[in-house]
Amino acid sequence: MSKKHLLILLAALTLGSSLTVLADEGITVTDMYGREITLAEPATRVVALQPSDCEILCAIGCEDALVGIGEYCDYPESILGTRVVQSGEETNIEEILALEPQVVLMNDMAQSEEQVKQLEDNGIKVAVSHASDIEGVYEAIRMVGQLMGREENAEALITDMQTTFEEIKEKTEAEEEEEEEEKTVYFEVSPLQWGLWAAGKGTFMDELAGICGLTNIFEDVDDWAAVSEEQVIARDPDYIVTITMYYGDGPTPVEEIMEREGWQDMKAVKNGQIFNASDSNALSRPGPRLKDAAVELYNFIYGEGSGETAAEAETEEAAPAA
Amino acid sequence: MKDARNLKRERLAPATYVLLAAVLLVTMILCVCAGSVRISPGDTVTAVWNTLWGKPVPENIAKNIILNVRLPRVLCVALSGASLSLCGAAMQGLLRNPLADGSTIGVSSGASLGALIAMATGFTLPGSAYGGVMVLAMLFAFGSLVLILSLAYALDRSLATNSIILIGVIYTMFISSIISLIITFSSEHVRSLNFWTLGSFSGVNYDQVKLLCLALIICGGILLHLGDELNAFAIGEDNARHVGVNVKRVKLIVLITISVLIGVCVSISGTVSFVGLVMPHIARMLVGPNHKRLLPASLFSGAIFLLLADLTARTLMSPVELSIGVVTSLVGAVAFVIIFYRTGKAG
Repeated sequence: MSKKHLLILLAALTLGSSLTVLADEGITVTDMYGREITLAEPATRVVALQPSDCEILCAIGCEDALVGIGEYCDYPESILGTRVVQSGEETNIEEILALEPQVVLMNDMAQSEEQVKQLEDNGIKVAVSHASDIEGVYEAIRMVGQLMGREENAEALITDMQTTFEEIKEKTEAEEEEEEEEKTVYFEVSPLQWGLWAAGKGTFMDELAGICGLTNIFEDVDDWAAVSEEQVIARDPDYIVTITMYYGDGPTPVEEIMEREGWQDMKAVKNGQIFNASDSNALSRPGPRLKDAAVELYNFIYGEGSGETAAEAETEEAAPAA
Repeated sequence: MKDARNLKRERLAPATYVLLAAVLLVTMILCVCAGSVRISPGDTVTAVWNTLWGKPVPENIAKNIILNVRLPRVLCVALSGASLSLCGAAMQGLLRNPLADGSTIGVSSGASLGALIAMATGFTLPGSAYGGVMVLAMLFAFGSLVLILSLAYALDRSLATNSIILIGVIYTMFISSIISLIITFSSEHVRSLNFWTLGSFSGVNYDQVKLLCLALIICGGILLHLGDELNAFAIGEDNARHVGVNVKRVKLIVLITISVLIGVCVSISGTVSFVGLVMPHIARMLVGPNHKRLLPASLFSGAIFLLLADLTARTLMSPVELSIGVVTSLVGAVAFVIIFYRTGKAG
């Protein structure tokens, strides 16, 4: 390129930026897959296929921009009237195109590259968010904030989450100094009846346990896994957290655990330290509600609720779910 | 030559039983002693021994793990393996079909559909939360068996080997798509029931052991009693009629017995495939084709096989547990190919 051309180009650029605001304010965002997404202006029509992205959008005040949600998106309740589209393997491109979004938020699990390409060929930007830890959730919030032109709200949300986690950490560290040995926790994601599944390393539950000063008894297992009942009994956790939903008949999940044969001598069962999380999604979704889950877990372990019996905790937790 | 071999087999039969029973006992002891959590054989033996003789059991972790988790599981697995294998042997004889088994002709998937429907609709029997699942599993098992057999009859009155298996395979596919549909359209509550398609003995207790034991004693007793009739059927239905077997009655009894037994097994552990298909063949290699010896031999070998498969599922990836269906299918499929290759060559 000759000097002359360069000068003209520079002049044009200067002129352009002073004349058109848009060109300069165009948004370039790198999504969590490392792809660059450019938008002329903040998105106003968004389809979010993942429940966590819906929650993030709503938490930063962009609920109105949601024109379509994936089938598993169910929080907050106010989004339930939004048009539901198929997600995951069944992602239906036509359905999404008809909603004319500028941006589609999805995770990287089930959509094929062809599907992403089809959307992009039709002028729809695809942003991938996939958080596997709390740091990743911050990144996702930041990305969504940029796409929507709500960076400040996003930063405020992140700070809020960070402060909560920090506070809990400080409090638990103070408590820990009083106690001698480290307390352990077992997260049950599927009850005995259907084969035990536990949350291991690399899950949000494991990370939240760390924040609350607990050690996950299945640290040596990755992700969610079918575990041996013998191991749960032998590892004898101080606390049990179950995310089994209660459907209103038969024993509650907590009662069911207390009644299991061979579990009666475990510390958590003897001391009634079994907790049925009010909302399993808060504990497992990479969204802003991880903060609430951390508070809930902290309250169960150290808070006012720690002295009460499991049955009392149960009624307390059942109320919002009902 | 062949007669001589059969004669030899017949003479060997009592010895074979003693051997099979001994192997089963050793396998059971091994399975109680080995597990995901290492417990010293001394503690294990004390826990089991004291319980057997009604003595107090020392309060330690061995008590809870051995007596409440491992022992009921080992017993359940042994009883299920024996039941499934016995059903396979009886079905193969009755239908004169070496490929017949609960899982190949669609009875097991019918039973799982029944169990799933009971779960999804919350169908229970008064007085027992679990009875509803079991009864629907049995009814669907029997319904499936009748449906498949009548379809096969309509197609081919001689119940030829291929048509019945073909219908069974198609029926299994049909049922599994219905199961997927139910799972898709029902609440998360039922989504967790996916395990039914893979099979698992995790979390079984003594109630289920008692139930399986009762089912095996009654149904197994009936089937073992029908050895002569099954021998007659194995030659041909006409032959059975000519030698004075009440063909319709025997057939109905065998089918109902098999349905009940498979229904009970499926409602406890889900579909565990290949046991009923492969083990009768191995038993046949050991004791010959006479059902009077084949049925008990299948019973033992099925129990031994499933015990070892479950031991693998429990310990291979510890603390993670594998699905027993994965193990039986892997081992069973390979064993099946080898058996067919060898029998093909020999014949």
